[in-house]
Amino acid sequence: MKLLKVVPTVLKHIKRAPIRSSLTLGGIAVAMFLFVMVESMRIGVKEATEMTANETTLVVYRENRYCPFSSKLPQYYEQRIDDIDGVSSVVPIQIHVSNCGASLDVVTFRGIPRDSIEHAIAKDGTIVGGTLDDWKHRGDGAIVGKGLAARRGIKVGDRFSAAGIDVFVAAIQETDEAQDKNVALVQLPFLQESARKGGTGTIVTQFNVEVDDASYLDSVASRIDETFAHDEHPTATFPEKAFVGRAARDIVQLSEVAGILAWGALAAVFALVANAVILAVRDRVKDHAVFQTLGFTGWLIGWMVMIEGAAIALIGGLLGGAAAYTTVKLGHFTMTMEGVNIELSTKPSAAIIGIAISLGLGIFAAVVPAIRLARTDIASCFRAV
Amino acid sequence: MTLIKCKQITKHYYRGSEQITPLKGLDLEIQRGSFVALMGPSGSGKTTLLNLLAGIDTVSEGELIIDNEQIHNFSKNKLASWRADHIGYIFQLYNLVPVLTAYENVEIPLLLHSINRNERHERVSDALENVGIADRYNHYPRQLSGGQEQRVAIARAIVSNPTILLADEPTGDLDRETGTAIMDLLKSLQEKQGQTIVMVTHDPQTTKWADTVLHLEKGQLIEQEVRS
Repeated sequence: MKLLKVVPTVLKHIKRAPIRSSLTLGGIAVAMFLFVMVESMRIGVKEATEMTANETTLVVYRENRYCPFSSKLPQYYEQRIDDIDGVSSVVPIQIHVSNCGASLDVVTFRGIPRDSIEHAIAKDGTIVGGTLDDWKHRGDGAIVGKGLAARRGIKVGDRFSAAGIDVFVAAIQETDEAQDKNVALVQLPFLQESARKGGTGTIVTQFNVEVDDASYLDSVASRIDETFAHDEHPTATFPEKAFVGRAARDIVQLSEVAGILAWGALAAVFALVANAVILAVRDRVKDHAVFQTLGFTGWLIGWMVMIEGAAIALIGGLLGGAAAYTTVKLGHFTMTMEGVNIELSTKPSAAIIGIAISLGLGIFAAVVPAIRLARTDIASCFRAV
Repeated sequence: MTLIKCKQITKHYYRGSEQITPLKGLDLEIQRGSFVALMGPSGSGKTTLLNLLAGIDTVSEGELIIDNEQIHNFSKNKLASWRADHIGYIFQLYNLVPVLTAYENVEIPLLLHSINRNERHERVSDALENVGIADRYNHYPRQLSGGQEQRVAIARAIVSNPTILLADEPTGDLDRETGTAIMDLLKSLQEKQGQTIVMVTHDPQTTKWADTVLHLEKGQLIEQEVRS
């Protein structure tokens, strides 16, 4: 009980040294903001590129091509792919992007045959505004991912234009899949005609292939590439997440480098808490001697120092973590490269991990000063002032 | 009735390689409910004796028995717990915690006791009332005069109803008038609440409130003057 009863006293010490506390908390909050933003990016990259056991989607692309503008495959490949054993469905897709390089605000159009739209909707996707019928009945209709809709302030019934394509928003799709929540699905002939780049009518960018079972992914991918190896347009087939990783390799590398920033942010938190605790302990040598004279044990005073370190780190971590989470949640940041989307993770896990690490660092930074103080006798504390 | 019994107490400590012995084989008895003034020149061992009685320091040789407990055998942690229950300490320079209000300073010792918040509030309020500073409960030390700070320090010392009140030159930093008021307050605590008080002082004027004056010199008791 004593351990809990002294907590308000520790918090008063933090609250009533407002300048020092605000500077320390501000530093920790900024460092944790940086850490959580970087972690959100890293988690987003991991989720977009890491294969899971139940993946059943393959992406068939033009061999040695990396950008949707240069990947051109004949639409008639659809039937030949569909004939391969283990394939359950094939959707030819034309992709048109407003920017082929890495960017935070790219609009990606996916042209889908009208009858294949049910296969093109994300597995977890739901239509939250408008209907699929509205889309089917309008040649220029678009089903807009909720992320893109939020980023651009688009709602059903609006028109919007990007990359020279002008569409009517027929429906909004809600999904957790980054590749689907940031695209606009339009009818394939409409996109082929509207884009008019690199041929029309019978040319698509890629095929999305669903296989019957996850264990067939590799064998079906090999069969597809073997089938077209000696054609005019040879293919390169990848599981969807491997395809994303390949297309967005620069972003993947960037996220790995950003990991160093995250470590730097943690080091900053440790240094800030350690500095704050050491200064506080030095400033309060006399107070601690008084506390001991009143009957506090050295270990109870050490505990108070630990609580102070933990509280500073926790409050700073909460401020920075919450700010970063809110920024990511409201910002709908999506890094797009060569037509694939990698979204900063909006799950609270990055913020929760950041806050927990900050708390751990706070306790760790306070351990040595706390132990040293706990072992100091009262007389030497009084002599020190 | 004897409350404090010192038997052949010796205290050594080292300053570098030099051994210092502020108390040498001191024998002393202090009665429960008495007001004792410890006098003597600098280096006579007054403060060392006060620290030993407070359990802040430990004896090197001899026995120190307080309220029938042999505190010379206590561990550091047990001494701390014993201090919380039995000792109230008043410093010359008040030593209030600057970021806490008068109320919160007085509340500190009660955090070590198993009492709920309501009882804590009642006891802190009573202590502040007893020392005549209840209207300043929400003030920080920097907002109080020296005399008021010392009253808060006395409230802090008595709030847990300790067996012994120890005071290290409690009027040493105060003007004569304020010092007199503080001594009157200590005396009233002794008379009304039966508090045992041991006070270190350099000022012969303040000994007039004490009923026993002990003169120390070179770590030994050289004179004991009983006034009542």
